[in-house]
Amino acid sequence: MNNKQTSSIDTATEEYRDKWLKLSPVAIIYFAIQFIKNTASNFVYLIPAFVIGYQKLADNIVSIIVGVAGVLAFIAISALVKFYFYQYRITGQRAQIHSGVFQKKHIDLPFERIQNIRFEQPIYYRLTDHVCMLLDTAGSSKAEAKIIALPKPVAEALKQEILLFKDHKTNTEDHPDPEQKQEERETVLNTRSVRDLVIHGLASNRIWIVLGALAPFFNSISEQVIEGIESFGVDLEALMSSTQYAMWQYILVIASATFIIVAFLALISVIGSVITFYDFRLTRSGDRYIRRNGLFTRHEVAMRLRRLQMIVYQQNWLDRLLQRVNLKFEQLNSSVERHNASTASGKIMVPSVTLSEAGELAGNAWPEHQMGSIKFHPISKRLMVRNALVSFWLLVGSALVISYFGHYQLSAALVALFLASLPLISLRWKRWGYASDDQFIYIRKGLIGVNYRCFPIHKVQQTSFYQSWFMRRFKLCSVGFVLACGGQSVPFIKETTGDALIDETLHQVESLKKSWM
Amino acid sequence: MSTSSFSNETIESSSLPKAREQRFLPLSPAYVKVNLLCRLLLWLVILVALVVVYWQPWFELPSPMQKAIPSLLIAIASLGLLLSVYGVIGDKIKGYALREHDLSYKSGVIFKSIISQPILRIQHVELKHGPIDRHFGLASLEVFSAGGAMHTFAIPGLPEEKARELRQYILEHSDIAANE
Repeated sequence: MNNKQTSSIDTATEEYRDKWLKLSPVAIIYFAIQFIKNTASNFVYLIPAFVIGYQKLADNIVSIIVGVAGVLAFIAISALVKFYFYQYRITGQRAQIHSGVFQKKHIDLPFERIQNIRFEQPIYYRLTDHVCMLLDTAGSSKAEAKIIALPKPVAEALKQEILLFKDHKTNTEDHPDPEQKQEERETVLNTRSVRDLVIHGLASNRIWIVLGALAPFFNSISEQVIEGIESFGVDLEALMSSTQYAMWQYILVIASATFIIVAFLALISVIGSVITFYDFRLTRSGDRYIRRNGLFTRHEVAMRLRRLQMIVYQQNWLDRLLQRVNLKFEQLNSSVERHNASTASGKIMVPSVTLSEAGELAGNAWPEHQMGSIKFHPISKRLMVRNALVSFWLLVGSALVISYFGHYQLSAALVALFLASLPLISLRWKRWGYASDDQFIYIRKGLIGVNYRCFPIHKVQQTSFYQSWFMRRFKLCSVGFVLACGGQSVPFIKETTGDALIDETLHQVESLKKSWM
Repeated sequence: MSTSSFSNETIESSSLPKAREQRFLPLSPAYVKVNLLCRLLLWLVILVALVVVYWQPWFELPSPMQKAIPSLLIAIASLGLLLSVYGVIGDKIKGYALREHDLSYKSGVIFKSIISQPILRIQHVELKHGPIDRHFGLASLEVFSAGGAMHTFAIPGLPEEKARELRQYILEHSDIAANE
């Protein structure tokens, strides 16, 4: 490495090099909170048991206090011990971490294997200005390293150093030092106002996720509610059976109660959206995109443009009404767990942008793409036929069997379900579409919402061709493309089209020999 | 990589090499036999377990179960036989093909699939052989790309010698060197 360029960085990180170091004491809080989080997520289903057993517990308050104090002491001790056993060392070319109390974990990560560096700043790190530094690798999630508490300037300097080291490895000849110059010109591409985030909160599916999570407890919740109302001296049954209120009054009460519940859930979702995406800024410096967001825990994720694998426009039915899209820049997706947590992952999501903003952002990344203007080809209607047949045999078939045993209501319900599935099946077919140009393949899919995806052909990792006996008769096939961010597929297209797509993809990948990252 | 000798003229897609019209080579005949043996053995174990339950002297079975077991035995035996035959047909259809720049693997009787893996995108290669495979001199070749573990490209049932050759071919391929 050139000494002149790195001298300023060296001074910032000098005391952090080549020796085993302990974390800043702030990390103890981190360990404690992490421990609580993990335990809580493991025992969340015990909460109803606690609620029910509350009465019993309330009788012996002393033992509760002792218990809680014991748990707190245990958490504190375990955090201290974890802190004590955590050591890290940063040498010229690698990051090493030793952690674990009983099960020791040693991570030794050479800089060139680091794919992505992310920062996380939980709210309790703000006062002392520390950050968590996450070092992602391309391979397994096991090799992912996390330096739990670093002062922010040191973390920034280390990040620069690692990136610089990698740049010198990869392109020594053309750009002697592109990083430091570019770092100064960080242009803001997009910010999200609170209003946008409120829209995102309303439109995102969080409400239904919350409802789904509560579903197992509906019974006990409603019992609790009724008990609660009755404890105020209201006799619900008498109220319901009395004739002093007209039917419309009951309907009004139920409707307004539903409205209040939905509004309450929407409020939760809006709050959630604002907390995660508060002060969202997407900036670009050189070929690096940086996303910063978060009200309490600040997240900072950087992605190099050449790592970008796929652009996704996501629109659910509410987004369609509001004319908004969620824009996603997808990069590597090395582990399944990270796939779920959208804010924690390395992918960059810009919540609830307008269509024109989405076009601008996508155009900024890949100027040649034509997601907005390209015409999608429909897929074969046989997909509808196949799905309708599957639904028919499953639902109507079992309805026949059930009616043989005399359960007519249930079989009628199954037949109704089959009829209800038909519009969904045809809608699903209607949403499917594909297109391709010289450089990109575009896929449209969805059910009630729509998803538009676009990826460069030369970044494909693997192709697949599927054909069932049914499809072979009608000269149809399904094709699949595996990207570093996951697999994409197009079902039920003409055999000749499928062959052409695959042959063209393999040809581009193998003849252009462009890197996928 | 050098760009001087590289040309990129527009190619009519009909003149591109066709992934589906390659000559696929069958897997080792031993693989088909071993697989058949394993399947038959599995079904046999299930049948024997049922017979043991039926004949054992220690406890009395509920009478509907007692009555159902003989017909259940016949059903399981015929299902096992059918699935084994289907398995043999499936194993005989499986095949792989190697081109200059990619590997392909074909499988499926009713649901056919052909997976193609450009060598350029291969990150690492593994040879796997379990105890049974080792006894019959078989190995499977697993090829990992950045697509993740879900999309591992694997060719099972290769003669060990062939599997090593293939691995060597991939490792020494110029596309891999260009990737570094």
